[in-house]
Amino acid sequence: MGNKIKLIDRVRLGFAVLVAKSVTFGVRSLRLGAASVLPGAIARRIEPRLLQLLSQQVKNGVIIIAGTNGKTTTALLLRTILENKGFRVCHNSTGANLENGLMTAFLESTNLVGTLDVDYAILEVDENIVPKVLTPLQPKAILCLNLFRDQLDRYGEVDTISKRWTKVIATLPPETVVIPNADDPTLSHLGQQLPQKVLFFGLNEPENYLEAIPHAVDSIYCPRCGHSLDYQGVYLSHLGDFTCPNCGFTKSQPALVSSEWQQILVGLYNKYNTLAAATAAKELGVDENTIRNTINNFQAAFGRAEDLVIDGKRVRILLSKNPVGTNETIRVVTQSTDKTTLMVLNDRTPDGTDVSWIWDVDTEKLVERGGTLVVSGDRVYDMALRLRYSEKTPQSNINLIVEEDLKQAIATALEHTPPNETLHILPTYSAMLEVREVLTGRKIL
Amino acid sequence: MNSQQLELTIGWLYPTLMSTYGDRGNVITIERRAQWRGYNVKVLPLDQNATADEIKSVDVIVGGGAQDRQQEIVMRDLQGAKAEAIREKIENGTPGVFTCGSPQLLGHYYEPGFGQRIEGLGILDLVSVHPGENTKRCIGNLVIEVTASRLAKDLEEMTGTKPYLVGFENHGGRTKLGKVEALGKVVYGLGNNGEDGTEGAFYQNAIATYSHGPLLPKNPFVADWLIQTALRLKYQQLITLQPLEDTLAMQARESMFKKLQVNPPKPTVLA
Repeated sequence: MGNKIKLIDRVRLGFAVLVAKSVTFGVRSLRLGAASVLPGAIARRIEPRLLQLLSQQVKNGVIIIAGTNGKTTTALLLRTILENKGFRVCHNSTGANLENGLMTAFLESTNLVGTLDVDYAILEVDENIVPKVLTPLQPKAILCLNLFRDQLDRYGEVDTISKRWTKVIATLPPETVVIPNADDPTLSHLGQQLPQKVLFFGLNEPENYLEAIPHAVDSIYCPRCGHSLDYQGVYLSHLGDFTCPNCGFTKSQPALVSSEWQQILVGLYNKYNTLAAATAAKELGVDENTIRNTINNFQAAFGRAEDLVIDGKRVRILLSKNPVGTNETIRVVTQSTDKTTLMVLNDRTPDGTDVSWIWDVDTEKLVERGGTLVVSGDRVYDMALRLRYSEKTPQSNINLIVEEDLKQAIATALEHTPPNETLHILPTYSAMLEVREVLTGRKIL
Repeated sequence: MNSQQLELTIGWLYPTLMSTYGDRGNVITIERRAQWRGYNVKVLPLDQNATADEIKSVDVIVGGGAQDRQQEIVMRDLQGAKAEAIREKIENGTPGVFTCGSPQLLGHYYEPGFGQRIEGLGILDLVSVHPGENTKRCIGNLVIEVTASRLAKDLEEMTGTKPYLVGFENHGGRTKLGKVEALGKVVYGLGNNGEDGTEGAFYQNAIATYSHGPLLPKNPFVADWLIQTALRLKYQQLITLQPLEDTLAMQARESMFKKLQVNPPKPTVLA
């Protein structure tokens, strides 16, 4: 496809790539970081249509992964499946999912004259920039994982985001494949409206229903008519089996039978990630054997149910950055017999500067089972206060330890973890990077 | 009066429709602070199925924020006898805390960025207008000094110092006050409209503010004021609240003041 590009564009593209590559080299040799954003930003200055010119060169197509939760894990699984089939894949694996991050991922796989030699590009895309990048990228497939309220301090409201998505996806070519979550009413509705090929993924396992609809719920109203939805059951947050008693809107039939598929890692949310990746891989023509083998041997992306061994003790990091994700990680913790948990709450830009969401998390479930809870992070006292207000009587059976210093908090939590148990760490995004840095002694980003 | 006999019913306005961002924190804080003192507490969800009589039965009201679409559903639902019941409660001095979208609901109207004006209950003399999607939202940490005279005096008596509230605001709408008293003046942040330095409103015993739902955990003296006011109205006598251990709340306030570099006077006691 490279020969479609005009000579003048090719020259400018080549120059942009060369400059970006020098920046990457410079940043890394000076050990300034992983260079996951800056090269893209600079190259885009030189050639504003960079994203378009590079994505045109991807042989088999660009795959977009969007949604509030699960992007990194789903992308990593799909990438591994494709790589196990012998494909070359370019992927923004550091989680830098704004425009410059996408660009940098492309540039990583580009040679010095601007030729991109990959079969697939898998791009995790932040929900808010989806409308901006779809037209230049002209993706082959779009995975819409879920829409939860997250980072409202940056973006406003879930409704606004889903409206923008529908509008832009509808303008893409008819052969674009859209893979939405059938269990998310907003996305189910989105899929039902599109002129493109739509393949749904979702659960059909009533034995995994929650006992009650959790508080951290966003859309339990019919996206078509606004009436309250009837849920036969919910799997997590507002994801479940629903129908609208007023207009008949109901969840679409998923392409795969969920009970026939194993999941990667712990937690029901990872079942959704598995089904999304498997549905996409099948659609791309990968045989079922390869998909199933990859699922069985999958290793976690950093900080997402990642298991480490530190000083002979097992540690599991469960990224917890919004109410739904945190309720799910709490479900993982409470289903284990381990009794020591470390929660780290930060309020930096990648975490969202507003920590109000912790009041939508059902921390009561953690506190009710007792054990040791260590808290740390920039907003350590907010987290501690949330846990204190989870106690129905002033004397509960938790041992709450408040420790401002993260290193000390980790050391304390490890001390309280018996040799045969696992320490669960629940950090927000920037906290997760810090925790990993302390635990492994090196920076990841 | 024996605390075991004290009963408190918290009415929670539209828990599923109006609970956008941590608003449940206010309900939890009132509930626990009453439970920890041994009172018998009930949380009554006042959703679409609630009756006017149920609304009339509550001792304290909590209302949170909503997205525009949900706000519209609520305002359509809150008419007739139910609207009258809320009006009657507030006019008769039932204490309440109304955050984010709720003050817009209690005002005359709200004009969303898109679509038609949504009529409010007109209990508070204020109007709210969303200046459109291209105007920046008011987002960030918020510190106010309570200036509503009667509330400020009560809180000062409880804490021994001028009352400062710490919270977080995130709103597109701008609110202009009419003849209603502001809750306070902005020390850090934007407040009602980012222009006149006012934040929130105070009417009878209703506290309206743009500060998100978990306003009360870090301002526990406001929660206690709501509880005490509710009990006084219900039992027609002043009930002294037993103090609680609030060290964590103090530390959370202090660390935020430090971060924002504001130096309000320290309360001698929190509750």
